[in-house]
Amino acid sequence: MDLGVSLWAAFELSTLPQQVVNGLLLGAIYALIALGYTMVYGVLRLINFAHGEVFMLGAYTALFASWFLGYGKGSSLETSGPLNLMILLIASMCVCGIVGVAIERFAYRPMRSQPRIAALITAIGVSLLIQYGGALVLPIAPPPSINEKVNPYRGVVTMNLVGGDPQLLEGYEKAKIEFETTEKAWTEARASKQPDDVVRALRDKKNDADRTMGDLQRRMDNSGVKIRIPQGQLIMFGTTIVLMIMLTYLVMFTAVGRAMRAVSHDFDSASLMGINVGKIVTITFLIGSMLAGAGAMMNATFLGTPLTTFFGVMPGVKAFVAAVLGGIGNIPGAVLGGFLMGIAETAVIWAGYGQYKDAIAFIVLIVVLLFRPGGLLGSAKVEKV
Amino acid sequence: MNVKLRSAAFSAVACFVLGGLLAGCGSGGGSSTGDTGGTSGSSSTSGSTLQPGDQTPDPNKIKIGLVASINGDLKPWGMDSQNGALLAVDEINKAGGINGKQVQLLIEDSNSTPEQGKTAAERLISKGCVAVVGEVASGITAQIALAAQEKKIPVVAVGATKTELPGIGQHVFRVCYTDDLQGPVMATFAYEELGLRNVAIVTDNKQPYSTYLSKTFRDSFEKQGGKIVDEQFYESKQTQFGPLLTNLKAKNPDGLFLSGYFTEVGPIVRQAAEAGLNAKFLGGDGWDSAEILTSGGDAILGGFFCNHYNNQEDRPEVKTFLEKWQAAFGGVPGTTMGALGYDAVGVAIDGLKRASDVNSAESVLAAISETEGFAGVSGVITLKGSGGNPDKRALVVKLAKEGQVYEKAYEVSEVKR
Amino acid sequence: MKFFAVRAGSIALAVAACFALQSFAIGKGDLVFRLVFLAGLYVTLAVSLNLINGITGQFSIGHAAFYMVGAYGAGYTANNYAGSWGLKGPLLMLVLLLIGAVVAAVAGLVVGLPSLRLRGDYLAVVTLGFGEIIRIFVQNSPPLGGAYGLTVDAQFKFKYVWMVWLLAILCIAVCRNLLKTAHGLPFLAVREDEIASSAMGVNVTRVKVTAFVIGSAFAGAAGAMLANFDGFISPTSFPMELSFTILTMVVLGGTGSITGSALAGGVLFYIPEYLRDLKPVSGSSLVAAVIAVIAAVYVVKRIADHYHGDKGKRAALYLGTIIAGVVLQIILAAVFKNVPSLANANFEASKLRMVIFSSTLIILMLLRPQGVFAHHEFSWSWIQRLLGKKVPTTAVSV
Repeated sequence: MDLGVSLWAAFELSTLPQQVVNGLLLGAIYALIALGYTMVYGVLRLINFAHGEVFMLGAYTALFASWFLGYGKGSSLETSGPLNLMILLIASMCVCGIVGVAIERFAYRPMRSQPRIAALITAIGVSLLIQYGGALVLPIAPPPSINEKVNPYRGVVTMNLVGGDPQLLEGYEKAKIEFETTEKAWTEARASKQPDDVVRALRDKKNDADRTMGDLQRRMDNSGVKIRIPQGQLIMFGTTIVLMIMLTYLVMFTAVGRAMRAVSHDFDSASLMGINVGKIVTITFLIGSMLAGAGAMMNATFLGTPLTTFFGVMPGVKAFVAAVLGGIGNIPGAVLGGFLMGIAETAVIWAGYGQYKDAIAFIVLIVVLLFRPGGLLGSAKVEKV
Repeated sequence: MNVKLRSAAFSAVACFVLGGLLAGCGSGGGSSTGDTGGTSGSSSTSGSTLQPGDQTPDPNKIKIGLVASINGDLKPWGMDSQNGALLAVDEINKAGGINGKQVQLLIEDSNSTPEQGKTAAERLISKGCVAVVGEVASGITAQIALAAQEKKIPVVAVGATKTELPGIGQHVFRVCYTDDLQGPVMATFAYEELGLRNVAIVTDNKQPYSTYLSKTFRDSFEKQGGKIVDEQFYESKQTQFGPLLTNLKAKNPDGLFLSGYFTEVGPIVRQAAEAGLNAKFLGGDGWDSAEILTSGGDAILGGFFCNHYNNQEDRPEVKTFLEKWQAAFGGVPGTTMGALGYDAVGVAIDGLKRASDVNSAESVLAAISETEGFAGVSGVITLKGSGGNPDKRALVVKLAKEGQVYEKAYEVSEVKR
Repeated sequence: MKFFAVRAGSIALAVAACFALQSFAIGKGDLVFRLVFLAGLYVTLAVSLNLINGITGQFSIGHAAFYMVGAYGAGYTANNYAGSWGLKGPLLMLVLLLIGAVVAAVAGLVVGLPSLRLRGDYLAVVTLGFGEIIRIFVQNSPPLGGAYGLTVDAQFKFKYVWMVWLLAILCIAVCRNLLKTAHGLPFLAVREDEIASSAMGVNVTRVKVTAFVIGSAFAGAAGAMLANFDGFISPTSFPMELSFTILTMVVLGGTGSITGSALAGGVLFYIPEYLRDLKPVSGSSLVAAVIAVIAAVYVVKRIADHYHGDKGKRAALYLGTIIAGVVLQIILAAVFKNVPSLANANFEASKLRMVIFSSTLIILMLLRPQGVFAHHEFSWSWIQRLLGKKVPTTAVSV
């Protein structure tokens, strides 16, 4: 196959608006996790490798909270209300906050006066310990997932950009009736043990009707240009934006934020100026980890991902790359990097090269870094390892 | 100079601490810093009454080795294969062993990587195992097969569905069917029973299992006259599938073949429903887990997949297996590897029973390759003259609220390859 | 004259030692043979990464990628071209090894070039990304076996432990000689201060790229050995975690110390293998041990930070702490035996081993952040100095 031809043939322009939305939804979660990386890095100049594991523990907390509320496997409870969802969110944010602070206190603080690379290895150690230690005590075989009933927002928000073809609807109604009749005939024939060839003929008739009906339904859906956003993902996106605005406000306009910026700028001078550096670092870890908790809870609840103790690795790496892409240590940069990664991955999938999407995300990163060695919004500084 | 002395002394002490701890642990003392909440949730491991037991090779027992992914990505499958194996060994030992000799199951961890899998297999061989059982993935099995090749130790693979394996039929056997069967079965089912003509494939590009299954499905479906309208890829552990589902939707498929494991299939199907993708969902034995109903939600109900057996089946093997599992570990097997691990050890034990000399790997190998009509949980297994691949029937089951419902069985001869 | 005699002597000794190791390992059976072989590979990997990370100060966390490139380069060449060469045995292996090294060196050049502009964590993420790109490329390439892996033709299966260890020794020798001669000074200068060294006329570009090329060539050669030893390589054999493991070896041994990374390479490879032999541990003794270890580590850390008395007393204090820790563990274990939920829980060694490995990592880093060897090298004069003798130092002091 000619590469050039297939490349252009692969572009489906009608799906472009939907894909842009998909990219933003994907990027939102990267951005949320990347904020945690970037905040810690900004303050301590430490890549917190255990951040992905905090994310994983947050997802497990949400799972346990949902079990506690009675939404276990095979639960007969009906769809819950928004209150339960809030409980899940708060539980997961609290646990993540505590875990993050504990990691900082017991693993990173004793390393603060040491070379950065030693702290980095400790971070890798903590990350491995949580992955493998967690596997001893957390349920992972088979990987459990959160019952979708705990989430009351399972609908879809649809926006019609270009109207569909009304004629298809008529045909669809007709095909539906045809399908129902043929299906009934087939079921009856099967139940009354009629000869095999008769049943088979009826089955094929039913399948033909089913196919026509499905085809019409999908063509109806595909005609015109539409954007569909699952409510859960919309909430995820909205929460991310709100949390980011709150964070920016906190960092830019409050005393704590000013102290954070001061510590980030110069650790020693800040402490000479009377800033309680230990407290600021703790707060940074607390906030970063709580954001990871929020991301984890929404990821596990709205997307239905089964959890293992390695659940945090991939989001962690992606978010880390996003943070570096935007300029690590820079809060708007992390958000920008997250969205860029999401859009880039989606663009690659859209173009039909889904199997290379992760590779291309990294190629984008390398190219960006070649031109902006300090990331998109960061500034390159000479530093030693 | 004093500084250097101090640091040298320090390293010595650090090494000593470490060495002491390791030694303490080796003598049963135990050592490790647990993670948050290491004390609370031990219920997940203590719920089972069957444990691996003593791993020191016992010269008076017949030793069967098991390579399992006890750590790493494949742990959910690895643990099930281990539990199934424990069950099978426990059963034969309770029945008095083989000719009065007890069987010992030695377990080694492959950490889900081929390289460590090979080390694990060589450890088992050096401990005197006359047969090695494992693994759940084809890549690791290939390494085990290579490790056992020179000494001609029989290897019974649990879940390696890749058609070509080193030494298959010579000293390597399997209890699962190959992708050569599974893909065509689902293609035939989709084409004939469901009347699908335009099917799209979704492949987990990181899992060889998934890529081969997709390929065999595609070949068979196209040969029968169907059309594969699109193939999209993802990698294990991905959580958001919106972009690829939007692509698929534009191609207007009437069916979706998802060849990956249930850990990603569940979320894909859930998100496909949200994306408005109205199609029939099909898959392979990677779907087999009770958890798929939770992660897939309501959207997965009505999906079809190919399985080795069916929980609700009436065969006595299935019934006793499920009862024993319930008694030993509680619940039902989390993945299909529970039954396959049980059958793989079962085949090895069956070979041992017929072997002229249970301490010689050579005669055990000969006996295993002569296996005929072994009634396993996953079907009747015959390895004699089959090139290492059992010609088992495959079931197509439908997912419903109450679990897996039997839909149709395919004998090997019925499948259009 | 003496110089050459010593050199020739040590070379002969090294080669003889490698062959002795080969015959020892063969006599001990397949498992020991495999472990000795892999240990040699890990030593090579650790020392070669040390050249990039420790000696030149470039933060690379993608070393497994070069290992992988070398493995696939050699494996693919063996399968497709080596049959027609008419070479056999060690000579063919040597050619394949060189191919692996060259392919990986080219990859090192590709990664080294952007590193001219990038520093610290930005470089780290590029090397990490490079590893992922390589993995995804291989995974999607049918001639390389895709996600399943590449089976290397059985006729190219070579089991030369001596060659692996000779490679490791060569790698150590290259790094050592670099440090001992004037050629090495620019590397150290770049590590200590890039701007100052470029002001002093050091060609920073060349130094960085050279370090990347040499380091990755050795990793690639190690990969070639692996491919032709195992007969099967797959993308899952070279995960991101492997890069972290190699990095850990370098840092734990002491960043910049060749001795440290070589030893840590062997030891860290062996620890998880050793831990396979652990017996199942009951919940009560496990929890007791967790508490005892945390307490002991805390006390040792306190002593290290706050007690500046003479070394004899310090050593006694450490020893006391350890004994107290063991006693504490025994007492607590006895107490926890009465808690049924703990006493009945059993943890198999296979599940614990990775936990113990990671805990060891954290504890060692907490207690000795500069690595076990810090920047020291093994040498006879170092031993003599340790024992209190005054010996003129010959090594480039760091």
